Order: sequence, then C-alpha cells, then structure tokens
Amino acid sequence: MTESTIGIVRRSQIPTKLITISGIILVILAILPLILGEFQTSLLSKLLLFGTLAVSLDLVWGYTGILSFAHGVFFTLGGYAMAYYLKLNLSAAGNTYGVDLPDFMVWNGLTELPWFIAPLKFFPIAAIAMVAVPAIFAYLIGEFIFRSKVSGVYITIITLAISSALTTFFISQQAYTGGTNGITDVSRLSILGLEISLNGLYWMILLFTAAVLAASYWLTQSNFGLILRSIKENENRISYLGYDVASFKIFIWTLSAGIAGIAGGLFVPLNRFISPVYLAVAFGTQVVIWVAIGGRGTLIGPVIAAILLGQIQNYAERVTQDWQLVVGILLLIVVVFIPDGLVGTVSKVFKKSY
Amino acid sequence: MFYYLAQADITSSFSIVALANQLLNGISIVGILLLTGLGLAITFGVMRIINLAHGEFIMLGAYVTFLLQSTFNLDLLLTIPFSFLITATIGALVEVSIIRRLYGRPLETLLATWGLSIVLQGVIKLIFTAQLKYVKAPAYISGNLTFLADAEGSPMIAISYYRLFIVFIALVLLALTSYLLYNTDLGRQVRAVTQNRDMAKCLGVNTSLVDMITFAYGCGLAGVAGTVISSLKSVSPPMGQDYLVDAWMTVVTGGVDKLIGVLAGAFLIGESNAGIAYLLNDPVARVIVLAAVIVLIRYKPEGLFTIQKRS
Repeated sequence: MTESTIGIVRRSQIPTKLITISGIILVILAILPLILGEFQTSLLSKLLLFGTLAVSLDLVWGYTGILSFAHGVFFTLGGYAMAYYLKLNLSAAGNTYGVDLPDFMVWNGLTELPWFIAPLKFFPIAAIAMVAVPAIFAYLIGEFIFRSKVSGVYITIITLAISSALTTFFISQQAYTGGTNGITDVSRLSILGLEISLNGLYWMILLFTAAVLAASYWLTQSNFGLILRSIKENENRISYLGYDVASFKIFIWTLSAGIAGIAGGLFVPLNRFISPVYLAVAFGTQVVIWVAIGGRGTLIGPVIAAILLGQIQNYAERVTQDWQLVVGILLLIVVVFIPDGLVGTVSKVFKKSY
Repeated sequence: MFYYLAQADITSSFSIVALANQLLNGISIVGILLLTGLGLAITFGVMRIINLAHGEFIMLGAYVTFLLQSTFNLDLLLTIPFSFLITATIGALVEVSIIRRLYGRPLETLLATWGLSIVLQGVIKLIFTAQLKYVKAPAYISGNLTFLADAEGSPMIAISYYRLFIVFIALVLLALTSYLLYNTDLGRQVRAVTQNRDMAKCLGVNTSLVDMITFAYGCGLAGVAGTVISSLKSVSPPMGQDYLVDAWMTVVTGGVDKLIGVLAGAFLIGESNAGIAYLLNDPVARVIVLAAVIVLIRYKPEGLFTIQKRS
C-alpha cells in the first residue's frame, strides 16, 4: 500500500520520459503500414484491437480484481452493432437479393427488417450502439451482481454462464443474427461517403489503442485508480473507510465493456465478419490469457502479449496444428510460476537492480 | 449441452404424450447431470477447489473406455474400474504438481485448471487426433422401457434402458460416496481438513495426503461419468466442455453443504429444462435455465439446499 502511495506522489508530475518513449513508439507504429504488406498491416491492426480488448479486461481484473470471461461478449456485441450497419449499407449490387434485407434474413423467411435492427442503418446510431449496447448490458449485469455479497469466484462463474448462454442464444436466433455463421460479407467501412482504406483503418485503430492506453494510464494513476487497487487488495477495509465499493466496481466494469465494444466495432470492417465464435468462452479465455501472460496490473503488458502471441500463432499455425496446446502450457506456467506475467516480472527485476 | 443429450424426438399428436416423454427425457438429463456433477461435488463442494478441468477428466474417462474397447474389445461395464483408476491417478498427479501450489488462491486455481483443461485437450488430440470416436454400449442394456404403445406396437411413451442405467449408476455412486464421506475414518478426516485445516493437522491428520486422495477420488468419479456417457454420443477431445458448465450449474444450484444437494440440483435443472423445452424449444430452455442459475447465485451463492449458518 505504502509503495503505491509513494508511486502516486512521484508520478503525479508530468512523466516526460514516458511521454517521449511512447511518442517514439507511436511514430514507429504509424510508419509501419507504409513498409509492411497488406497482410501484416491487417494482422497488426487486429492484434492492436485484441490488445485494447485485453487492456479493458486488465482494468477490471488486473486493477480491481474481478476476473471476467465475458469480455469477448462485450467485444462481440459492439461488433454485431457495426456488422448490422455494414451489412445494411451494402450497395444494391453487393447484396445478393437486391433488396434492403440482408441475405441471412431472406434465407430464414423474414420479410421486413426487425424494428430493433432497422435504426442501425444510420452511422451515428450504429456508432452509439457500438458503445452503448455492451456498456448498458454490462451496467445491468454489474448492478445485479456487484450489489450483493457474492464473492469473486462466483462472479467469474457468472461471467462464464453469461458467455455460454449468449452463445447459445445467438446461434438459435438464426433469422436475426445469422446463426452459427454470424454476419458475413459485410461492406467496407466508409465515412461521409469516403471509403476507408486498410491503412486508414490501421491508423484509426492505432489512435484508438493509444487513446485507450493513455486514458487508462491517467485513470489508474489517479486517486480513482488507487481506490480500485485498494478494492483488489482489501475490499472490506476500503468499504469501512466509507467508499461505496459496488459503485466503483460498476463504473469500471461498464467503462471497460464500452472500450471492449468499440474494439469489437472496429474489428468488423477489418475482419469482414462477426460470429458467435467471439461470444464463446474460448475467446473470452483467450483475452484472459493475454492479460495473464502480459502481466496483470500493467497496461502495456496485455498489448505486448496479444501482439506477440498473435504473431507467433500466425507462424506456428503453418507448422503445427496444436497451437492451443502451446497456449495452455504457457498459461499453466505463467499462473503457477510467474504470476506477475512477463512485463510485471521484467519491471520488477529492473526495479530491483537499481 | 442439453439438446445434444436429448433423446431422439418421439413425435406425437397428443400433447400429453409429448409432455410425458419430455419429462422422461428430463429424467435421463437428471441422470447425466448427477453423474457429471458428483465428481465436482467432491472437488468443489468438499475441497472448494475451482476445477475447470472437470470436463476434461470426463473426457479422459471416455477415452480410457474407447482405448480398452478398441484394443481388448472389453465390455463397457468392465472398463469402469480402469477409467476410475487412471483418471484418479492423473488427478493425484495434478493435485501434487499444480493445485497444491495454489491453495487459498481460488482465482489462480481457476486459471490454472482452465489452462490444464486446454493442455489435456491438446494432448489427447495429439495422441488420438481430433477425429470422433465411437464406443459401443453393452448389448444387454439396449431397448426401451415402454409405458404406452400405439395400435401398431411402436412406443409412444418410452425411455431407453441405458438412460435408466445411467440414473442407476449415478445413484449408486452417490450412495457410495455418501457412505465414504460420512461413515468412514477417511471421510471424517476429509471433512475435518475442510472445516479446519490447521486443527486437523495438529490432531495428526496428514492433510496433504488427504487432499491428494480427495481430489483424486473426485477426478475418478468424473472418469466413471465419462465412461458411462461415452456411448451416448461420440468421444472427442472437446467433449468435456459440453458437460463442464452443466456440471457446475448442478453443483452450485444444489449447494455444497451436503452431498445430497447434487441430487436436488440435478433434478431441478434437468426437469425444469425439459419442461421449458416442451413449452418453447431447447436453446431457449438452456438460456432460461442459465439465467435462472445466475439469479440464484446472486441471491443464494451458497446454493438452494443449505442450512443457514452464522459465519
């Protein structure tokens, strides 16, 4: 506790060194797509989004101590909002049936657009829904579970159940969600009639990632962040001090779901489809693994882990079919032997040597 | 998932017949839930270990049966002791190498067992490939118990003997486990370690040995469940995942105070699932049951069938 308090005082001055280093990294990352090919740029964009998703989980898990397997769900809800928008804005030639109705709705016998999907045809509404739907969903869950005496492990089990239930639900509502295939063959993203190129999308995503990292840094270094960490360390004590623990948890939970939703929304124009695969527990686990390996409670760790693992996976899958086995072994080793994760351990060693 | 487990539809014009069938269907789901939940009632209920690799121990049991059947042509019932012993041994190794390091840190245990579940699936896939395998049920437990047949003699309300056999095995294992836990020296030691580890240690109980045996026993039960269930559908590396969530819901619903809670949880979930599936459809029933369990955890995290205690 004392250590982190001292940390706050020291870091409250403007961190010039940090800003310089991150500025340099940002510039390098911004130039990269001009050098890299289309495939690498696309891959790197995806990995940046996964990294941001991992940061959003880190805010609730690494800082506040709530382990969630449902962050893939928030990501996917944002993704579906964007996917409906892109699907509904296919040009008449791009739409197989030449009508306003997406192909999977025609196949499943719908004759008109359901009222709850129709507004998503407009970009501002879709953009709001991308954040609002996952955030409101998370807020409702948060109000429900954090205002009880349910302990951490049970909350994790609840997130597992939510992920499992929603996957089943989305697969079963084929006419509205496209079932197992999800929403495929969406149009490219264009804003104000201007089609966004892959590089443009990459820069948008890079900007978003940088913004999330900067905001998260500011948030976690503030007094608010200190309270979050205190909740993780000793929930009872902080509530005896007069803080309403549940409200803090609900706030950070909702915020992180909103971030995850935007990441999901940006993911769809890149990936060109969204499906219940991203709702399922397996994807939620993947997010947890990025955070665990990168280092809980470090902001940059999860991003590095997502990018590194994604790149390794990209090459490993050409050699072996058993990438998942490698991931499982990594997770086991990290949990049992290096609980601080890669970045957490490195920075600890670094601090000790001084 | 429930709708995979559901018996083949017996379509009928009479809704009362359909309802009766659905309720019988519910009984067979209850059997499976009870069987898969029992091992978890030991590892989680008694030891409080969050074991997310439970489904993989079920899967291991199924593969032991497959291996013995394909190489020695062994009867499914005769493979039960082997699958118990083998999964229990693996369970003991896991306890010693992983779980033991993480006692008192439930979230870490959860993560580690999740990693373990990915590893076990990967290893089995490496050995047996991802291909679906099939296991034969014994010929003498086949056919249906028919309650009502139509004019041509084809069954209208019926349940297969094998499903009844699953319920029977589950009840036998429940009785056996209760006996071990409540009427033997070892069971007393197990309960003592759960209630007050330090005190049990002071009184000369070898707590680490008790931990190992208890965890191994829970895993062994999961293995038996895998063997018995293996012939219902195919055997594949990810099969355990289907049972994991359901087994968890069963144990959490029933409460962990008394072993009998598993029976109550299995009955409640199985029958309400079948009932809602009759009124609506299978996926919706699953969603509703999961939502109900979430609400239940929120208001009574200790489960429905526990005695209120002062903490």
